[in-house]
Amino acid sequence: MAGSALRRLMAEYKQLTLNPPEGIIAGPINEENFFEWEALITGPEGTCFEGGIFPAKLVFPPDYPLSPPKMQFICEMFHPNIYSDGRVCISILHAPGDDPMGYESSAERWSPVQSVEKILLSVVSMLAEPNDESGANVDAAKMWREDRDQFNKIAERLVRKTLDLPPP
Amino acid sequence: MKALLATVISLALTTVVIGNAYYQKKQFYPSIVYLTNSNPSMAVMYLQAFILVLLVGKLLRKIFFGQLRPAEFEHLIERSWYAITETCLAFTVFRDDFNPKFIALFTLLLFLKAFHWLAEDRVDYMERSPVIGWLFHVRILTLLMLLAHADFYFIHHAYQFTASKGPSVQLVFGFEYSILIIMIVNILIKYVLHTIDSRWEAPWESKAAVLLYTELAINFLKVLLYIGFVAVMVRIYTLPLFAFRPMYETMRSFKKAYNDVVLSRRAIRNMNTLYPDATPAELAAADNECIICREEMHTGAKKLPCNHIFHAACLRLWFQRQQTCPTCRLNVLRAPAPEPAAAPAPPAAQPPPPAPGPVPPPFPNMPNLPNMHNMPPPPPMMAWGMPPPPPPRPASLANLTTAELQRMEGNERRNIEARLQLLREIQAMLDASVLLMQQYSTVVANLPQNNATVSTQTDIKIEVVNPPTSASASQAKSEPDVVPTTSSYKPPAVPSTSKADLTDDASMQPDTTTDSTNSSFAIRKRGKISEMPMRPQSAYMMWLNSAREQIKLDNPGMKINDFAKKAGEIWKSMKDKTKWEEKAAKAKEQYAKDLESHNARESGE
Repeated sequence: MAGSALRRLMAEYKQLTLNPPEGIIAGPINEENFFEWEALITGPEGTCFEGGIFPAKLVFPPDYPLSPPKMQFICEMFHPNIYSDGRVCISILHAPGDDPMGYESSAERWSPVQSVEKILLSVVSMLAEPNDESGANVDAAKMWREDRDQFNKIAERLVRKTLDLPPP
Repeated sequence: MKALLATVISLALTTVVIGNAYYQKKQFYPSIVYLTNSNPSMAVMYLQAFILVLLVGKLLRKIFFGQLRPAEFEHLIERSWYAITETCLAFTVFRDDFNPKFIALFTLLLFLKAFHWLAEDRVDYMERSPVIGWLFHVRILTLLMLLAHADFYFIHHAYQFTASKGPSVQLVFGFEYSILIIMIVNILIKYVLHTIDSRWEAPWESKAAVLLYTELAINFLKVLLYIGFVAVMVRIYTLPLFAFRPMYETMRSFKKAYNDVVLSRRAIRNMNTLYPDATPAELAAADNECIICREEMHTGAKKLPCNHIFHAACLRLWFQRQQTCPTCRLNVLRAPAPEPAAAPAPPAAQPPPPAPGPVPPPFPNMPNLPNMHNMPPPPPMMAWGMPPPPPPRPASLANLTTAELQRMEGNERRNIEARLQLLREIQAMLDASVLLMQQYSTVVANLPQNNATVSTQTDIKIEVVNPPTSASASQAKSEPDVVPTTSSYKPPAVPSTSKADLTDDASMQPDTTTDSTNSSFAIRKRGKISEMPMRPQSAYMMWLNSAREQIKLDNPGMKINDFAKKAGEIWKSMKDKTKWEEKAAKAKEQYAKDLESHNARESGE
């Protein structure tokens, strides 16, 4: 009998395939290992990331859904809540108890109620509305606050890059 | 590619160095002496040895693990860096023993450690992989056996060495290999558990608990070892800085495991004893998917105090991490737990039913209770086994402190108990009045047949049913407060029906049992009855009606209460009441006559 984590991941995969949310594609990289997924996230419309298609990797712990997965963008990203190596810093991906930034209440943290779909939707809304208080990428947070034009330019360059278009 | 290049270069360098030595000295022993005395040659030889170790490592890795997964590789690199730094720190303590053999031993230790880590990662991976082949089992078991033997050998060696030659760097090795052997035991236990789990068809629910206890025990052993090691090192050498980081981590994970065990035990005990099993109806009412495993719930579902339903097995797993409701994050350890007697009820939603013993608030005082006005009207024939629906829970309950929660709950419980008590009173009153009403209606049914006798009978009955009316005069004397309300209305028509109205009209406030209101109800609801002759006014009422204007004139600006008091006083102090009493008697006679003729008319109809 496969573990409960595996069964839940299979269930979520099935759900995501049958009923995909708009602008999000996700699934295991390889059907032999359900604990590593790849996701494609479309930049939300009306934001500086509009039109981009951002690939990311999700790594699930063996005790999923009791512990949160880790998420990392595998393309270049410039965003206040994404570390420069692509790791995503949002509160629902943090297990209660460890608080890297010291600002999150435990009500926003991971719980088994969350799912891959909810994580990806949160990431989409994070792309649309960065939280410049948490500051995983301080440079990006500062630029987002003080020099929005420059930030938008960088975002546009990244969007074009994900689409394999030459920079404007 | 890089590794291949490095290997080729180092191999070429070694060949050149050895060739050079042999070319110069022509013989075996002189060339060896030359090599060992030349520092550059030795550097090349060390490099070659290092590369060889790496190659052997790669080979063994290939044999035991096959291709490493990227996560495993990252993990390995990360841990290696820590281990190398700590080894360098250890060198500072044992700088007197510093020689090639010493370095070789440390390299070997690192080498073996790396395989322990990989074995641990691989066994953890068992849980995630849907397919585990026989090759996997053979590899892991052989590796664990080999590692255990190596660890035992080195521990034994360190022990012999220390026993015969006194404390030396072998202390460190003995300690490190002891830690590694504990790690092997841990891996083996995990391996056995995972294997059993993968063989069973049904999910093994207690596996996580067993794992948790194993972790606790293993961490406890490790903490003991670390403390012992640090103590020995401090006595003999100096503070072993290199052991501090792993010691701290071990202690932290021990503390975490301990907390997890204690809190989860408490939460699970609460769950097993206090929280009710979800009924099939509740499962059907909600979406019966367990939010933790995303599978349907048929049996073995538990309901938390916040009314969220999960598989008991899933909850048990979650409580080993956190003791909150996965959906609303209500802290189940802090949530008000019901007394064991009320076990099948969701806590805080249902206070224990009020005990029948204690003295209830007396019924006439009821209107003084403020919460009576907010109370919804009781349904007419409410079943008393059913408590009122639980009040909605405030959303931010989790943010409140325990004291606040208790205070809140205390008030709530008291209020609900008071309400229940009052509702019981009302029920009793209603029952009584229904009974009286039945009696009265039987009497009324007999009326047309024998008028004369019955009319007196009804009079008696009425006096029993509704004492305030017939005794209004005497009552007014003792309780003048009631007077104005009574006096401001017409004399009641048929007061005895008022009680029946009470039972019919559920929305009516139960405290409005004064004659006037009731009679107005009677008039409103029973138009036919209102044609009956009016009951005669009492002597006091007759006097009051005539004297009212005079009293008002004498005491201008008087409030209604004071007026009633004043009127009562005046009536009391009046010596000669015969005039009014005669009038009242006359009215009564007239009433009897009217009633007779009315009854005659009605029977004629």
